[in-house]
Amino acid sequence: MTTTTTSGPEALLSHLHSADGSATFSYAGYTIVGAVNGPIEAQRRDEIPEEAVVDVVVRPAAGVGGTRERHLEGLLQSTLRQIILVTNFPRALIQITLQITVAPENEYVNTKVVQANTNLPILPALIQTAVLTLMSAAIPLTATLASVVIAATTEDGSNREIINPTAREIEKSRSLHVFAFTSHGDLILTQSEGEFTMQEWEDIVASAQRQCCPSTSGDINMGDDAASGADLGTFTRSVMEAKIASDLYWK
Amino acid sequence: MPREAEPSQNEKDFILKAVREGHRLDGRALDQFRQLDLQFGEQYGVADVTLGKTRILAKVTAEVTVPYTDRPFDGIFTITTELSPMASPAFEVNRPTETEVLLSRLLEKTVRRSNSLDTESLCLVAGQKCWSIRVDLHVLSHDGNLIDASCLAVVAALRHFRKPDTSIEGDTLTVYTPAEREPVPLSWLHSPFCITFSFFGSISVGEDGEEKDIWLLDTTLLEEQLRVSSCTISMNKHGEICQVAKPGGAPVEAVTVVQCSSLALQKVKDLSDFVDQKLAEDSKHRNKGGLLAELSADNAR
Repeated sequence: MTTTTTSGPEALLSHLHSADGSATFSYAGYTIVGAVNGPIEAQRRDEIPEEAVVDVVVRPAAGVGGTRERHLEGLLQSTLRQIILVTNFPRALIQITLQITVAPENEYVNTKVVQANTNLPILPALIQTAVLTLMSAAIPLTATLASVVIAATTEDGSNREIINPTAREIEKSRSLHVFAFTSHGDLILTQSEGEFTMQEWEDIVASAQRQCCPSTSGDINMGDDAASGADLGTFTRSVMEAKIASDLYWK
Repeated sequence: MPREAEPSQNEKDFILKAVREGHRLDGRALDQFRQLDLQFGEQYGVADVTLGKTRILAKVTAEVTVPYTDRPFDGIFTITTELSPMASPAFEVNRPTETEVLLSRLLEKTVRRSNSLDTESLCLVAGQKCWSIRVDLHVLSHDGNLIDASCLAVVAALRHFRKPDTSIEGDTLTVYTPAEREPVPLSWLHSPFCITFSFFGSISVGEDGEEKDIWLLDTTLLEEQLRVSSCTISMNKHGEICQVAKPGGAPVEAVTVVQCSSLALQKVKDLSDFVDQKLAEDSKHRNKGGLLAELSADNAR
């Protein structure tokens, strides 16, 4: 099974020349190239009189986008318009294109190109790429986002949470959850599938919050959890710091 | 945005005058390509081509399907090109532009109709099961000469690709996963490459006022917007022409086309050697310790 869960996240900013902002983000076996054009002129039939239209396009690595991509686009669109200052650009369009280039493959199964199942595990990588591209395009945001995918499994009668599970772990899990938090520590997106109780969900939210925003939750992650992934909120911040430092080198 | 912003009059005059005098904005010779780079992904069948600021990603996938009823002995081979707003805000989603239609048509003629991939070898059970090979082309950044770069990406990705191994015993067809058996390469017959010539009118040379066409190779987006016509020649390194396309534009002397095709052969040989070298490097990188030959269940022919 090809997963790179052990290696940390990597990002490359502003590398495409024709888009206003662009980023490539790779983490947990996914690599996504994102580009933002905006604010540009919106089509007459789409424009909103007092706000900018946020348009998200998700394109799969192989095959044409179907219902699965439309579903992801819907989730991303409603999440991102919460953090973009849409009222600053009335009647404009902010167009976000996310191209999936590498998705983890399961060596034990021959995959079909057209898959009808939902694809929650890719959501954190898409959100992270979208946020990085928006910052690369200098679109004003209220907050940045950090998100995580958690699988809940039952092993030998005891429940266990796996952060950034591999394809095989997802197959065996009872339920799968995706959460996104703003940099202020507020929950902005939650998606769950599978079987779980309310109590389990609350426990998972708590560990997701510890994972995404360690500073605001007041809880210190002592590193006792071996499956703990990278802190994407801090990662975004350090990537931007490095970018700004290199951009303002001349000063 | 419905269309690309046009260059200003000053820009146009400057570039055209420079081209007439034999100079280009980036200091290249008229028949010189930009810096070309080709990278293969971790997975089989992923090729990332960078030509100057143009960047193209090709991904090949295979799955088992039912063949077309009128061609029961052939597998299915498709090339999909869809230009996204990532390449330029002028491209809209789900609305193909002229560039996109021309690009997919040319790739179709160059790679598919020239029989570079032996589709008969993709047949598993006649009339019932066959491989469907699909190439997805993603234009990440568009700075001119999409055709040549795309063709290179498609050919490189297909030659890099490995499909799952299969076996037939009696009536049962087994498709092995990569964990069970090392995947096998496609049956590849020849590698065609496209070379696009962009024409910029003619100038008179010599004392008798003889007219000579000016053409450029590997144009940038700006130069492409100013050209009067273009001609794409596809051939393999043996000099076999797969197709010649000159879609409209200003007329060009027949002699020029002949000259272009002989120069195209030279460029195609360079590109062909470049791809061969990159593929060899990649296989050397993957074949650490020389164990790949033992894993392979392929018969030596």
